[in-house]
Amino acid sequence: MTEKPHTVKSYEEQLQQLTNNLVVMGGNCETALGNSIKALCNNDNTIAEAVIDNDTVIDNFESQIEQEVVDLIALRQPMAIDLRETVTALKISSDLERVGDLAKNISKRTKLINNNLPDNLTQSIERVGAIVQKQLKLVLDAYTNRSPEIAVDVWEKDEEVDNLTNLCMEEVIKYLKSGKENVEYGSHLLFVTKNIERIGDHVTNIAEQIYFLVNGSYLEGDRPKGSQPIVNGEK
Amino acid sequence: MNKIEAKKVNVFYGDKQALFDINMDIPERQVTALIGPSGCGKSTFLRCLNRMNDVIEICKVEGEIKINDYDINQKSTDVVRLREKIGMVFQKPNPFPKTLYENISYGPEIHGMAQSKDELDQIVEDSLKKAALWNEVKDRLNEPGTGLSGGQQQRLCIARAISVKPEVILMDEPCSALDPIATAQIEELIDELKKEHTIVIVTHSMSQAARVSQQTGFFHLGKLIEVGSTDKIFKNPNQQQTQDYITGRFG
Ligand SMILES: Nc1ncnc2c1ncn2[C@@H]1O[C@H](COP(=O)(O)OP(=O)(O)OP(=O)(O)O)[C@@H](O)[C@H]1O
Ligand SMILES: [Mg+2]
Repeated sequence: MTEKPHTVKSYEEQLQQLTNNLVVMGGNCETALGNSIKALCNNDNTIAEAVIDNDTVIDNFESQIEQEVVDLIALRQPMAIDLRETVTALKISSDLERVGDLAKNISKRTKLINNNLPDNLTQSIERVGAIVQKQLKLVLDAYTNRSPEIAVDVWEKDEEVDNLTNLCMEEVIKYLKSGKENVEYGSHLLFVTKNIERIGDHVTNIAEQIYFLVNGSYLEGDRPKGSQPIVNGEK
Repeated sequence: MNKIEAKKVNVFYGDKQALFDINMDIPERQVTALIGPSGCGKSTFLRCLNRMNDVIEICKVEGEIKINDYDINQKSTDVVRLREKIGMVFQKPNPFPKTLYENISYGPEIHGMAQSKDELDQIVEDSLKKAALWNEVKDRLNEPGTGLSGGQQQRLCIARAISVKPEVILMDEPCSALDPIATAQIEELIDELKKEHTIVIVTHSMSQAARVSQQTGFFHLGKLIEVGSTDKIFKNPNQQQTQDYITGRFG
């Protein structure tokens, strides 16, 4: 449903600006995630450094969006679709900010890993990283196109992310078990894997928000869950 | 339970049709808001509910309007009694050319609601307090009602309307001339009144409709486009036209 423009142009522009900022912020997060995994797997500290530095840009987008949302609510009193636009922008921006933080954390750990990792490990991480990147890209497309269909696809695919995460965890645990000298890097890799999985969870949160944004109702039912996690976290 | 049920209501001013096949139920002890662009027929519909359109020569009303299951459009309806039960606050304040006191006491007096001067005084005071006007006028009750400011006159008319304890109160943009404080006081009064009365309010303020009502009807070009819970109408209306209107994308 594409909406007619508002009679008051400045209001229309303000809402457009909010959406644009969110899209650009999402783009930054996509880059951060991609680069954080690339840096880890190629043992590239320069890229890792860039991811860490760029996180302030993402943080700034979040505060900017928060400010815009508060202004819209205080000064425009948005209703119906406009209210959902405003409120979901706030929630999505906070999920994206977490995505940025998690990517940054991957890069901080990358900097503490100084040797090349075994290929089977980097491959596992790349595989789960790639699917989460794809999910993030898709959910941003869903947002840009206001497409609940794409959002539902993303939401349902989280199962695959969970499965790949668990496989990756198994690899990391094998690596940890294979020698005391692997404990330090192996511990970092446990967190890295968990971080990627968490990014996937934020992506599904965003998918839920987009569904609500367009339909005004909530995605019903339990999200399909993958295999039982090996390491029990807060989930 | 429905206090009022309107079925297939059509209204004409001469040859010009102002309302088309309006069906609307108005639940008891709730606030129903009527919204829509200027000229869409809100006031016309409101006036159907206590036969105020009778006073407009060229106006013809068709269809059924049942209040307490009684069709008020029957010939035998005692219109004076009807309007006593269904009070009204008009878009433009219309105080009687009498004192402030008399503006309020008139109704209760002719309906024999007070046994003594003291009782009448009490009704006048209560009504003015409820309408958030008492403090401003308590020392000048013998001055003419027409000497008040526009917003004060509107509150005087609200006080007058509630003084006779009607079952239904119809309000046509009661706050359009009021400042934010008086508006809040009237909204508080509406909240209070709905415990015992059924209220239908026309308002151009979307946020006011959202704040005070439980049900909202959206009119456009003489048609009732959508009616539903206020929550639904302002969060996620069914009709695109409703959404365009409440979000400011109209015309
Ligand atoms: N006394 C009248 N004689 C002729 N036409 C009238 C009369 N009163 C209203 N109309 C017409 O009926 C239509 C509906 O008018 P109404 O006053 O009910 O609109 P409204 O929704 O209350 O508008 P507003 O928000 O401006 O008060 C309009 O086209 C108006 O011109
Ligand atoms: Mg009117």
